[in-house]
Amino acid sequence: MIRVRGLSKEFGTRDNGGGVLALTDIDFEVHDNEFVTIIGPSGCGKTTLLRIIAGLIPYDHGEVAIDGRAITGPGPERAVVFQNFALMPWADVLANVTFGLEVRGTPPDECRDKARHLIKLVGLEGFEKRLPKELSGGMQQRVGLARALAVNPQILLMDEPFGALDEQTRRLLQEQLLRLWEGQRKTVVFVTHSMDEAVMLGDRVMLMTPRPGKVKEMIDVPLQRPRSPQVEKSGAFVEIKEYLWENLRAMQVGES
Amino acid sequence: MKKRILLDWGLRLAVFIVAVGLWEFFVSTSQNFLLPRFTDVASGLFRLLFFEARFWEALYISNQALILGFAISVVLGIPLGLLAGRFRWMDRVLNPYVGALLTMPVAPLIPIVIIALGLGIAARVFIVVLFAFVFITVNTRAGVRGVEASLIEMAKSFGASEGQIWRRIVIPGAMPAIFAGMRIGLGRAVTGMVMVELILVASGLGRLLLEFSGRMQSDLVFATVLAVIIEALALLAGMQALEKRITRWAPDISIG
Repeated sequence: MIRVRGLSKEFGTRDNGGGVLALTDIDFEVHDNEFVTIIGPSGCGKTTLLRIIAGLIPYDHGEVAIDGRAITGPGPERAVVFQNFALMPWADVLANVTFGLEVRGTPPDECRDKARHLIKLVGLEGFEKRLPKELSGGMQQRVGLARALAVNPQILLMDEPFGALDEQTRRLLQEQLLRLWEGQRKTVVFVTHSMDEAVMLGDRVMLMTPRPGKVKEMIDVPLQRPRSPQVEKSGAFVEIKEYLWENLRAMQVGES
Repeated sequence: MKKRILLDWGLRLAVFIVAVGLWEFFVSTSQNFLLPRFTDVASGLFRLLFFEARFWEALYISNQALILGFAISVVLGIPLGLLAGRFRWMDRVLNPYVGALLTMPVAPLIPIVIIALGLGIAARVFIVVLFAFVFITVNTRAGVRGVEASLIEMAKSFGASEGQIWRRIVIPGAMPAIFAGMRIGLGRAVTGMVMVELILVASGLGRLLLEFSGRMQSDLVFATVLAVIIEALALLAGMQALEKRITRWAPDISIG
C-alpha cells in the first residue's frame, strides 16, 4: 500500500529564497493491486508527485510510505514507465528490456529469458535486435513497459506514458495495458492528462488542483472488470468523464 | 550501397583532377620557377617513399611524438571532459582554463616549453598535447551534456549506482561526441607535431622540411607535406571505422 500524508514540495528554495510551492497537503492511499489514475490541469504537480513516489526527487514535509516504510529513494518494489520512453538509443530492444534486471544484478541468462518473455508479452517478438530509432513510438513505449515489468515490481508508476503517442496508438496501448493488468494485477499509479484514459483505466481517479497542487477529490470508477472498449459508451463512464471535465474546466477558466 | 561508394569515389576523383588541373595551369602560367608542378610533387613523393631512407626515419621520429602526444591527450582529455560534463562545479572551475587553452596561440609558447623541457622528445610530446587535448575535452563535455537527463533518471529509477550510470548511460551516450573530439584532436596533434619540429626542435619530418626548403627543393617540401596528409587521412579513416563499429546507433555527426 502506498500511503501519502501531509505531503508538500517546494521548488527553487535554494537559489532565490521564495520558492514555488508545487504540492501541498497531499493525502491519499493506493491499495495493493489497485489502479489509480491521477489527472489535473498542467502545473498541478502530478508528475512531481509521481517522481516523489518513485524516489527520484526528495520531498519537504509529510510522509510517503510503502507498506509502512518511508521512501528515501528508488526501490526494487517499484518501476517507472516514462513519458518520453527513456530508451537507450545505442541499445537494441533486448538490451533495453534487460537494463533494469542487469542493474539489479540478475545473472545474464536469467535476464535474457525474462526479457524475451516480456518482449513476447507486449507483442514485440522478432524485434529483439532492433534499435529504438527503428521502432514506432507505440513500439518504443511497449519496450519501456516491458523493461519496467521485467523487474517484476509490486508497484508500477506510469508518468503520462501514452501522452506522446497519437490517439490511435494510445488507445491500442491502453487496451493492451488493461489486458496485461487483468492478467497480473499490480499496484499502478498512472498520471495522465486525458480524461478518457483516466476513467478507462482507473479503479479510482484522483483529481488534482493546480498551484499549489492539492488533491481535490478521489472518484470511484464503478465500471466492471475486465473492461472492453465498449465501456466508453456506458452511462457511468460518460458521467464521470463529464464530471471531471466540469471540474477541470472550472479550474482553468479561473486561471485565464 | 555499392553503387553509392562507387559514385563517391568517382566524385572524389573528379574533385582531385580539377584541383590538380588548376594547380598545373597556375604553375605553367606563373613565372616563379620555385613553384613545383603537381607531377613534380608526385615524383618527389615517389622518391621520398622508395629511395630516401631518411624519410622513413624522420616519419618514425615524428610519429613517436604524435602517437605519444595523442595518446596522452586522449587519456587526459576524455576524463576531464567527462567530469566537466557530469559535475557542474567541475565545469565552473575548468571553464576559464578550457577557454584559454582553446584560444591560446600555441606556437609562441614553443620556445618556452623547450627552455623548460629541453630539446628532447618530452618537449615535442608536450606541444602535441597542448595542441590536441583541450579539443577532446570540449567535445567530450558537450557529449556528456547531450546525454538525455531522462536516461539518467531512468537508470536511477532502477536503482543504478553512480558507477553503473557512468558505464551504462553517460559514456555510451557521449561516445559519438568523444569520437568527434578525437578526430579534431588528431588533426591538431599532426599540426602540433610538424610545428614544433619546424620552429625549434629540428628533428623528424620538420627537420627534413627545413633541409628541403633550405636547398630550394620545393617539390620535396610539397611531397613531404603530402605524405603527412596521407598519413593523417589513414589515421582518420581507421578511427572512423572504429567509431562506426562502436556507435552505429548514432546519427552521423562526423566532420572528419
